[in-house]
Amino acid sequence: MNLAAEAFSHVDYLVTVALFLIGAWILLTSGNLVKKVIGLNIMETSVFAFIVTTGMIDDGAPPLLAAGVEGPFASPLPHALVLTGIVVAVSVTSLALVLILRVKAELGSVELDEIASAGEQPGAAAPPDSRGHAND
Amino acid sequence: MNNRKSARVLTMALMAALAVPLTYGVLQLPTPGQADAPAHSNVSAKYIEAGAELAGSENLVTGVLLNFRALDTFGEVLVIFTAWLAVAAVAGGAREAGQDSIPPSPIVDYVIRLLGPFIAIFAVFVIVNGHVLPGGGFQGGVVLGAMLIMLSLVLGTGVVEGVFSDRVWIWLRAAGVLVFAMVALLGLPAAGFLFGLGQAPALRQALMMALELAIGVGGGAVLAGLYFSIAGTHRS
Repeated sequence: MNLAAEAFSHVDYLVTVALFLIGAWILLTSGNLVKKVIGLNIMETSVFAFIVTTGMIDDGAPPLLAAGVEGPFASPLPHALVLTGIVVAVSVTSLALVLILRVKAELGSVELDEIASAGEQPGAAAPPDSRGHAND
Repeated sequence: MNNRKSARVLTMALMAALAVPLTYGVLQLPTPGQADAPAHSNVSAKYIEAGAELAGSENLVTGVLLNFRALDTFGEVLVIFTAWLAVAAVAGGAREAGQDSIPPSPIVDYVIRLLGPFIAIFAVFVIVNGHVLPGGGFQGGVVLGAMLIMLSLVLGTGVVEGVFSDRVWIWLRAAGVLVFAMVALLGLPAAGFLFGLGQAPALRQALMMALELAIGVGGGAVLAGLYFSIAGTHRS
């Protein structure tokens, strides 16, 4: 009973754990490179949600000290940290996407199965210098 | 196929092995939202108590970003600029002159053309009010970048990219890094340490505004540049 009450009061954190696991599952099991990037983004989002949740206060105000606004204020530090994290996530995502475009151009596919099977049969595989027009 | 099945079972086991300690650890944390949690009583309490005066910004998040943790933000600006460099290097060889493969519907075309100037004004508003209202350089920069990306979807990448020459685009993208480095070095003679913005309110306000504008312009230009590189990469 105690555990159920504990789980109920920490439901915000448990949702971020669930999101993290969903993202990790997609990242590990999906054979499509774009879906792997999406899984990575879900994992990143779960971490951001977790950090922001640590900074929130029940019935609190956002940390903007305008006239007439009274506390308690949410903690400004997690927000600033998450902003940094989002920028890094955008950078990683864009770099991953452009690398996937390159993989598609060189190997003709973004499915790991197809790339692997093309590698096994040398006749079917695109020669690396043909800029990937073999499969389309 | 059998191989894939065993991989799934293994992943399932790994997920379970991750889920148990994560859930256990999360349940040990203080209940979210409680005002007396350690997350609210040390650094954060100090920021809320004295941050507005010390940092010169009523938006405490902006104060933390541009003053208390300006070095972090400098790193952040460097990261996104480096990301653009890497993306441009990978995409670089395979660029094609931007042509639109999907003609947009007339309604989408009209609405985006109509909204463009308003989005730009909103972006500037978010940037210059970053110290009193929710927002700031990064947020405004993202709005600016989104506007450029939307316009290039309608008008074609070449038209939007052609507004400035490649040279000017590079300087715009580097604006965040360069202005941050300049302000950091200005702090040495002015206050004796990097990013010392001084105590004179007018000077401090001006420097923070410069930082915000640089982040906004640099961030927007970098985001648009990422899109141009990815959209211009050879499609097969």
